[in-house]
Amino acid sequence: MGSAASVKKPEPALAPPDPQLLRIRDLVYQVAGIFQPDNKLRLLDDRCSKRMQVLGVGSLREYYECLTVKPIRQAELVALLNEITIGETCFFRNQPQLEALRNIVIPQILEARVKLPLRHLRLWSAACSTGEEPYTLSMLLLEESAGRLKGWTFEILATDLNERSIAQAKHGIYGDYSTRNVTSYFRQKYFMERGENLHVRPEVQAHVNFSRLNFLDDARMAFMKGLDLIMCCNALIYFDGASKRRVIQHFYNNLLPHGYLFLGHSESLYGVSDDFRLVHLPSATAYMKRDKRVVAR
Amino acid sequence: MAEEPKETLRKRLGGLEQMPSIPVALAPLLRYLEQPLESLDVQQVVDLISADKSLTAQCLHMANSPLFGRSQTTDSIRGAVLALGMQRMRDIAISCSVLQITPNGSASLDPTVFWEHSMGCALVCRRFAKRVGFKNPEKAYLAGLLHDLGILVNLWVLPKEFGAAFELARTRHIPLHEAECSTLGLTHCDSGRMLAEQWQLTPELIEIISFHHDVKNGTSDRANLALVSLSDLLCRMSGLGHGFVEERQIDFLDEPAFALLSQECPSLKAFDWARLTFELEGYVDEVHRLVALLYRPK
Repeated sequence: MGSAASVKKPEPALAPPDPQLLRIRDLVYQVAGIFQPDNKLRLLDDRCSKRMQVLGVGSLREYYECLTVKPIRQAELVALLNEITIGETCFFRNQPQLEALRNIVIPQILEARVKLPLRHLRLWSAACSTGEEPYTLSMLLLEESAGRLKGWTFEILATDLNERSIAQAKHGIYGDYSTRNVTSYFRQKYFMERGENLHVRPEVQAHVNFSRLNFLDDARMAFMKGLDLIMCCNALIYFDGASKRRVIQHFYNNLLPHGYLFLGHSESLYGVSDDFRLVHLPSATAYMKRDKRVVAR
Repeated sequence: MAEEPKETLRKRLGGLEQMPSIPVALAPLLRYLEQPLESLDVQQVVDLISADKSLTAQCLHMANSPLFGRSQTTDSIRGAVLALGMQRMRDIAISCSVLQITPNGSASLDPTVFWEHSMGCALVCRRFAKRVGFKNPEKAYLAGLLHDLGILVNLWVLPKEFGAAFELARTRHIPLHEAECSTLGLTHCDSGRMLAEQWQLTPELIEIISFHHDVKNGTSDRANLALVSLSDLLCRMSGLGHGFVEERQIDFLDEPAFALLSQECPSLKAFDWARLTFELEGYVDEVHRLVALLYRPK
């Protein structure tokens, strides 16, 4: 039976969140589509404090003004978003998302693909940064190659706006920070040791094609056809509403009818596009194309 | 399959003999709290809670949690009642009271996990109810807290049989009620109904406990029933379920409960499911912390 007889005093409570911080949280969600849940508010507070120091701003109220009414607002929002997403790039970044991909999404895609003639999967890591995400996908699919994906081939398109990131990604050499989530199993199977660094094995690299891409380059975006899955983490948050809608329209056209779109952790398309429907997977969310023939609910 | 036929199981459940009754000290408090909110006297509530040391400590833990929206730390029940208001305090007192009938341990579903799910669901219900404009979100909180009461009954009365159902759900990654149905021929909704009727809970609560996995059977507060059903599902998909992963993909707009709730709440059509999901992620750690503080098996 529950008993708290030994508990004399309540634990000291955390300070309640500053209402100005909640306003900033809501603003960031509304403008950028990335949400900071209550357990990340302290982190958001730290990030805001950092930016406030740079700007010489004394209060969150003043900082909110910097994000909304001052001429610097757009640049400042980008600076804050950079702070929020800093250090997020690493191998096996979002475990629940990857588990769902492996256990639910891939089987669903294969089922849908049975009707198509080619036993080939096409995935796109749309904002691949220095390559950790597409290589993670490649490793996961290689793990399935003797099982569900036996007899299948796959390719991973990996793009980023930043030329230097792409160059680094192609080298496939990573330090401790990027590889902190790599288990010893994956480390031994898919990496080679290079001094203090780890080098992604050629068989992982062979499935990944890197190239530079600007999402606003309509001609090239239109070329990314026939995809089963798009991963686009922490990139759309930097686009204004109109550009975001344009990119999302491309994603819609690029995906096959059964295709999935994965965004970053706590990233949402709410208010951006009705073409996609949100689906819940265990401890993860994704988007699928809404059938436009179905009359709006 | 169950060793005993369904009817025998029902008979065993019907007796509810192994179920503990609500602790004696709590009965007067719960009776008093059943009255309309406006007729409750602060001092009377303070006295009734303070009569039970264990309940006092638990109520203070809850009152000091950010999940209950306190604005400053309080170390007295009177302070908590004044800071949080009578309605919130009633929820806290009822939560703590019901917590006291949890079994000491279980070979199947961990009672701590059960309470994390119940409390998480209660909090999501309250947040969700506010968002879609329910007049009384606290009613949704209580319904969320008690919706799985039947699991407690199964843990007490049918531990072995329920254990088999739980194992099936855990290993096949399927919803618990589906595994109960195929193993026992009945679910925690059936057993919860028996206890809810014995406890003389309100007809609305009895329906929510009975039909949260089958909302079309609801007749009274259908909006609240649908809301609890959706909140329960969201918790199970967000790491606050029954202690195992349900391997499935859900589109909430395809759920029968969504269709039902939409009839009552037109605003639901433009509802931001993603935000509610992210908000729930923000509760998870605090729910774990709070339940660990409140629930300490002997």
